[in-house]
Amino acid sequence: MIWLVWRQHRKQALFAVAGLLALAAYIIPTGLGMRSTYTDLGLPACVSSMGDGQFIPSSFTNACNETIRSFIGRYTAVANVSVLLIFLPLLVGIFWGAPLVAREVEHGTHRLVWTQGVSRRQWAMAKFGLVGAGSLIVAVVYGFGVSWWMAPLNRVGVTRFETFKFDVGGIAPVGYTVFALALGIAAGTIFRKVMPAMAAVLVVFIPVRVLVAGLARPRFATPVELAIPVDQPNPNLNAARGDWIQSMAVKSADGQTLMDNASTACNPDAADCGGMSGALNTTLYQPGDRFWWFQGIETGLYVVVAAALIWIALRGLRRIA
Amino acid sequence: MDAVLEADGLGKRYGNRWALRDCTFSLPEGQVAALVGPNGAGKSTLLHLAVGLLRPDDGSVRVLGQQPYDNVAVLPDLGFVAQDTPLYRDFTAAELVTMGGKLNRARWDASVARNRLAQLGIAPHQRVGTLSGGQRAQVALALALSKRPRLLLLDEPVASLDPLARHEFLQALMGSVAETGTTVLLSSHLLSDLERVCDHLVLLETAKVRLTGSVDDLLGTHRQLIGARHDGSAIPGVAAVIRESHTDRQSTLLVRVDGWVDETRWTSTEVGLEDLILGYLGDHRRQGSHAAWGVTA
Repeated sequence: MIWLVWRQHRKQALFAVAGLLALAAYIIPTGLGMRSTYTDLGLPACVSSMGDGQFIPSSFTNACNETIRSFIGRYTAVANVSVLLIFLPLLVGIFWGAPLVAREVEHGTHRLVWTQGVSRRQWAMAKFGLVGAGSLIVAVVYGFGVSWWMAPLNRVGVTRFETFKFDVGGIAPVGYTVFALALGIAAGTIFRKVMPAMAAVLVVFIPVRVLVAGLARPRFATPVELAIPVDQPNPNLNAARGDWIQSMAVKSADGQTLMDNASTACNPDAADCGGMSGALNTTLYQPGDRFWWFQGIETGLYVVVAAALIWIALRGLRRIA
Repeated sequence: MDAVLEADGLGKRYGNRWALRDCTFSLPEGQVAALVGPNGAGKSTLLHLAVGLLRPDDGSVRVLGQQPYDNVAVLPDLGFVAQDTPLYRDFTAAELVTMGGKLNRARWDASVARNRLAQLGIAPHQRVGTLSGGQRAQVALALALSKRPRLLLLDEPVASLDPLARHEFLQALMGSVAETGTTVLLSSHLLSDLERVCDHLVLLETAKVRLTGSVDDLLGTHRQLIGARHDGSAIPGVAAVIRESHTDRQSTLLVRVDGWVDETRWTSTEVGLEDLILGYLGDHRRQGSHAAWGVTA
């Protein structure tokens, strides 16, 4: 079976290797460049001056702030290219998953291969397993590649939680890729035709991703609330910790929202604080150290769904003749 | 002789429609059997049940005494050439032979395929997608024969071939069957081809077995009778009238006989396999759909 799977999918494997090499050819030079700029600008000292406390310490200089701004400004465009990698799992689902069973049925070759000496379950295990392993390697390599690449930006305060950065770094790509592949395989066993299976991947994968990223992910854990009375100086959260700020609001003492997406300060000389006495500047955020916890939840979610889809595919396979 | 393939009340349903129902027959070892029937009669369904691609909904099918569905133990004994002789078109013939070796560790004999393909002049390193239909069918047959199967099933292997390729294919098939004594079940529409090569018949019509038995027995018990116009009363020596046609003064009957027929009243002639099959298939009048088309009958 291993020989057959390799023979059938070697072209795809070659494409994957070529794709990863192209990615490496982009991220390794830019990543190294980013690192040398990081050192040249003296950012290590700046970053260590930020410390790891909840707030940016008073010792943090304006000069450092300016340097960090210019560093981020210089590499933002380069880093934004990583957005393209969001589509990689989708491609795996469409071009590896969907045809896996559907093309065999379309060409009738399932009747050839299932009447040799191996059961269709063995066939399915070998095909799903090896193509799955290949996809996994692609996902792990680019996920951790992107994590390595982005590390200098993350250290100076570009949070890993940012949408489009969370989605292409760490282990999350593994979840998306496994899900897309399983979705393609399952759609192929249900529709038994390549084109409808590909369309199904497209139509299901994108909404699921958008809904999970937009609605579920912010609720994986209860955010931490920071509340500072408006008549006190509003400290900045330490960007080096990579906190994910979800919302800000000015709230009255009894918890009512006075202003959304805003913070305010009152002149300490003004009587009654301009009518805002007792109000609080509130910030809801997910602490940066929850990153891997969030990645784990999201990946696990997709892996569980993928397992269910594979189970559906194995069931469906039994009915194909 | 033991039955290599045995169906007992076998049925398969797709939704509400029975693709095959109440199918009972057995195929003795060493026979070359024709599986005949109109389109949609259930031939492919029967073959898919026999090779274990489908699970029966009713009754049972046994290959060498075993249920074939989801049963790896039966696979080494089975050779199957599916309809349209599917092959991985981007593989070369040599790669397909290698594939056979990898998937059939038990009893694979690559030399069978190599010798056959060499004899046919098929290039080993040419993609099979670029071969002619006849050559592809030969490659598919060579792969099936390399398994050294005890039962070889072929689903309309010659349907899309030109007459020459068809002849060569059947010749190749018969040659190797004669050598190995493999039992064969071959479905086809081409009755004249079958008449030459088959010694057993399974005739399906609208999901049911209409007629089955050895060709010699079937031909021995059927006669065409021509005589004066017949009124439909029982004829001594005739078990059943399969098909009848009448003119004003004369009747032509296809009958199954079980005794001596009065040859002073009837001219009795033997029938060929093709006429016999057509006789059985033709006796059901088709239901018209004039109303649905909005035309008068």
